[in-house]
Amino acid sequence: MFEKSLYDLIRGLRNHKGNEKEYIQNCLKECRQEIRGQDMDIKATALLKLIYLEMVGHDMSWAAFHVLEVMSSPKYHQKRVGYLGAVQSFRPDTEVLMMATNLLKKDLTGSAPTIIALPIAALPHIITPSLANSVLADLLPRLSHSYPAIRKKTIVTLYRLALVYPETLRAAWPKIKDRLMDKNEDPSVTAAIVNVVCELGWRRPNDFLPLAPRLFELLVDGGNNWMAIKLIKLFATLTPLEPRLVRKLLPPLLDLIRTTPAMSLLYECINGVIQGGFLGDSEDDSGREEIATLCVNKLRGMITINGDPNLKYVALLAFNRIVVTHPYLVAQQEDVILECIDSEDITIRIKALDLAQGMVSSENLLSIVSRLMRQLKLSSASQSDGLQGAEAEADSSDDAPETTRPAKKTKDAPPLPEDYIVDVIGRILSMCSQNNYASVVDFDWYIDVLTQLIRLAPASRQGESDQALPSRTSATDISEKIGNELRNVAVKVKAVRFRTVQAAEHIISRLYTDSLARHSIMSGALRPIAWIAGEYASQLLSPNDTLGHLLHLVPRITAPEILTGCLQSIMKLFAVVAGDNQVLWTPERKATTSLLMGRVINVLEPLALHPYLEVQERAVEFMELLKLTAEAASGQSPSTDEVQQDPPLLLTQAIPSLFNGWELNSVAHGAQINVPMPDDLDLDEPIHPDLNRLLSQADSLLLPVAEDNEFDVYYNQKLAPTSLSNEPAINRLSQAATEEISQSYQQQAGEESYLDPDILARRKAERMERNKDDPFYIPDLNRSRSATGGASTPIHNILQNANGQGLDIDSIPIMKLDLGNISGSSAPPPDTSRQQQRPPPRQRIVVAADETLVGSGRSTPRNYESENNNSDGFTKSRAKKLKQQGLLQVDSSHLRDLSLEVGADDDGPNRADEDAEMAKAMKEVQRLRLEMQRANERIQIAQGVPDEGVVVKKKKKVVKKKKKTTDVEAEGEDAVEVKPKKTKKKDKEKAPVAEPVASEVPVLGDVSPPRLEESGLVSEGNVWSTEAPAAGEAQGDDEVVVKQAKPKKKKKSVKRVIQLDDEGDEAGNVMASG
Amino acid sequence: MINAFLVFNGQGQPRLTKFYTQLDTSIQQRLISEIFTLVSNRPAGACNFLPLPPLLAASGTSHSSAEQHNDVPSLVTYRHYATLYFIVISTATESPLALIDLIQVYVESLDRLFENVCELDLIFNFESLHTTLGEMIVGGVVIETNMDRIVAGVRAQGTVAKRPVNESRGAGLGAGLGMGGNFVWAGR
Repeated sequence: MFEKSLYDLIRGLRNHKGNEKEYIQNCLKECRQEIRGQDMDIKATALLKLIYLEMVGHDMSWAAFHVLEVMSSPKYHQKRVGYLGAVQSFRPDTEVLMMATNLLKKDLTGSAPTIIALPIAALPHIITPSLANSVLADLLPRLSHSYPAIRKKTIVTLYRLALVYPETLRAAWPKIKDRLMDKNEDPSVTAAIVNVVCELGWRRPNDFLPLAPRLFELLVDGGNNWMAIKLIKLFATLTPLEPRLVRKLLPPLLDLIRTTPAMSLLYECINGVIQGGFLGDSEDDSGREEIATLCVNKLRGMITINGDPNLKYVALLAFNRIVVTHPYLVAQQEDVILECIDSEDITIRIKALDLAQGMVSSENLLSIVSRLMRQLKLSSASQSDGLQGAEAEADSSDDAPETTRPAKKTKDAPPLPEDYIVDVIGRILSMCSQNNYASVVDFDWYIDVLTQLIRLAPASRQGESDQALPSRTSATDISEKIGNELRNVAVKVKAVRFRTVQAAEHIISRLYTDSLARHSIMSGALRPIAWIAGEYASQLLSPNDTLGHLLHLVPRITAPEILTGCLQSIMKLFAVVAGDNQVLWTPERKATTSLLMGRVINVLEPLALHPYLEVQERAVEFMELLKLTAEAASGQSPSTDEVQQDPPLLLTQAIPSLFNGWELNSVAHGAQINVPMPDDLDLDEPIHPDLNRLLSQADSLLLPVAEDNEFDVYYNQKLAPTSLSNEPAINRLSQAATEEISQSYQQQAGEESYLDPDILARRKAERMERNKDDPFYIPDLNRSRSATGGASTPIHNILQNANGQGLDIDSIPIMKLDLGNISGSSAPPPDTSRQQQRPPPRQRIVVAADETLVGSGRSTPRNYESENNNSDGFTKSRAKKLKQQGLLQVDSSHLRDLSLEVGADDDGPNRADEDAEMAKAMKEVQRLRLEMQRANERIQIAQGVPDEGVVVKKKKKVVKKKKKTTDVEAEGEDAVEVKPKKTKKKDKEKAPVAEPVASEVPVLGDVSPPRLEESGLVSEGNVWSTEAPAAGEAQGDDEVVVKQAKPKKKKKSVKRVIQLDDEGDEAGNVMASG
Repeated sequence: MINAFLVFNGQGQPRLTKFYTQLDTSIQQRLISEIFTLVSNRPAGACNFLPLPPLLAASGTSHSSAEQHNDVPSLVTYRHYATLYFIVISTATESPLALIDLIQVYVESLDRLFENVCELDLIFNFESLHTTLGEMIVGGVVIETNMDRIVAGVRAQGTVAKRPVNESRGAGLGAGLGMGGNFVWAGR
């Protein structure tokens, strides 16, 4: 013996540490050789080795045919290996499965119980609707096999058959039910039935109500805990349909709860009480109250007393179910649940969080959120500590997981996984914002939380956000969500708007200082934050600085959505900074304004060629506007001592008026739909009567070469910005001035391009220093109002000197001077101090509700409906898609459509029709079958008669099924030959000669030659590739043979499968010819 | 129902893979390694339930109706014995605590069959692992939880091979898989 045994293989693997790959490749090669040999022992051993290697991850789908060979071995220990190979390696696309049908049928009807058990246990793994259809007849008798082990396996296998082929239940259910009712049945068979009934139960509870008495009996005197658990679960789905069951079930359940030593059973009893609706609506009797408290107390005990993490987990699971119906019961357990949020076990944490989310109130919000914040803070701290180490580890762990893992394990506080952080942040936001901020009492605190969250949010890494990787985008998403929250607060809660704007300002400046380095800004929060700064620019402490920060940030923003937001904000800020019409048009003001405009234009200029249209459009628009203004400004000579000059109107009137309009309020989601359509708007009206012609003209239009060049130049070369747009007429009036100014900007751009950012920052600081002493410089005025009092301006000093310390300049209520707040309904009277402006806790704060369009009566419901419909449809379609992908998922939805009532009234007439049709079809099939039979006989006269009877019977089922369902699965089985079958069945026309082959779906031979070639069998010189014509050409005369075959069917089928082993070639002929 | 039953060791090398639905070998391996990553990062006192691995979470979250939810694998239960992890992936219709018991029954049955079972036994007799599992679970449905019957069922299918005589037993495995160490509730 030169072949390796499995033992040798494994030892070899263990001895070749380091170069296992090579060793495995060699072994695979050997196995390929061995499995092709004639010696069945060697074949089986090779297969066993392959199965072992498959477990380690080496595909063995190529060996499917050899698996079949070993399966058909007459020796049990070889057969067993073959079946194991089929279970482990057959996939939905394994074609040789078709050839296995007869083998399975034969083994199912075998005599030795060990052999019968093999196909029964293997079938659930390889089952297909057509296979189910063909083996059902052989499987059903096994339900009354003398061995309980066979019976219980058969029951479960029938269940799996029913999942893909619901018709199974019609035949099997009465028998299964009899087994269940039989009190003398082996208890473990009964338990298996209960397991199956439980699986079916949640799908179709109505069908199992009649069984309730028997099930109840089993529950009371069962003694098998696993079965008891299943029964309780089943009853929990039944009681909603039959409330009277509750009264009956309660005593035994309570008894179990009080007495059972098994924690799992105790838990499931409580769970059953909860899920079965035993807690009731409290209208019934006081006994229920008692049960509820008993259950909840037991659950509480699981969390607190035992200290077993598993009990904690399941108790939280149970609470999660109670909270839906009885939130007050869970709310009583708040203390222990909140403790679980801090558990070191993430599984428990997540479950506790699920719960916490459902029980947030204004009392506990603060404590819940602060717990979560602390977690995040700690993890981010530990993360930044070991940042380098963690990164190195992450890199290496890809290559050598074994070596790095122990190291990871020893670390006592591993940083939280990113998706958990994102999840927690999302939950914090939704907890705080639910019911329009009903639970938030202290908005100052909330703003602080949000500011902190922006820092804690996982940074989306550079360059990855635009690749739309789901994990990365979730990180950007979350910081944008935080920003949006901040914006919502600013819009909705006028009382804290000033604070919010301050926070936004602070965040922007922090972003600016934190990221001085040249990498790009990814934080999605910037967009809403910039919006706040722009929209409420008048409330900024220092709009000038904020504008400066934004101008610095913009060139480094890569995401176009963020850019569009920032551009708008820059313009708004500019309007506030430069557009003050109270201040005199002094030379200084003229100089600073021109400088500022120059800077803004300089930032906008590169964006005018941005590939994203929205950005491009805004940049061009604003740039042109600014250029115009710059012209006007340079044309307006500053006021001197003698002459008072007003600043240019464009600056003080036109630009600010762009942004001063109605105050923006939050609009309810979907309110847009309710906007009535204007009567004179006809959306169907063509834009141009001859639009199509114009469009086709535009398509076919060949641009002259010169124009092409221009086109290129337009997109690829940077033009002087002035040439970019159609200049308005007014521009042409002072062409010279524009050029002059834009040139000066050019110079400045040069300066910025060679100076390092920090120097630029220093220069800016100098400039500000210079202007600081100018009492008319706007930013300084702002700064003097600052609560921090950091800047000491002359005015500040003068006032302080003049009034002594008695006057606290900071306490002057500046905010009230802002126009924006005068309209605020909740604004405190103007003479209150700033301290009081901040709403003290518990003060009722007006949170603006979402605006929606009133008057159009059905507004809200309509929104809801349409939205729900949309999302419903969406999830449905998605679920459908997922059904195909759903990993590991067994789809049991077919079961719903089948009635278990035998001879149910609903399909009475249908059935008659069907039967008639089926009889017709059967005749046809039989005829075809005969033709085929003759073909077979011609080819191998020595072969004997195939098992005609079985096949015909089975045929009937095929037809029946095809009638009911579509032919989808048939198509899946055999693309080449199924088509003729369909036409034949539907039309009942005379089938052409070649069709008999096609009609043979479930029998061994239904594998078309091309497929065999694909699977590499032909190359092995196997006769399996015998062409279909071989069957077709032979049509003989032996109807008699068929009739004879029927009584002998068992024997025949045995004979036939044995051929598979011994006379592979001939058997192959049979199979290929069908 | 039970969607998969896995056994792998502390290095993530599979010792038994049984999926009750057909799944590509490569996806099987990915799932195993994802679960291994989760399970090997558990702190000492953690519970026996894992959060869903990314592969399963992706396909499981978007289902809306509760009924469909019952079909989706949503529970990953594990137990750790000496050098081995035993994993059960199941739907929400199974009882979490009972699954922990089920794993215990499986390991105890193996212990009886092999007499003081250790990882080496399982490596060299993986066919017996399959047979034993086949006596407990068929097609994802539990058919037997009684240990005597399971052991008898396996023995009825032929003798269980003893571990090779000359194969040295690793230190620390001598005490079997540490039976019943922290077994709190007496299930079954």
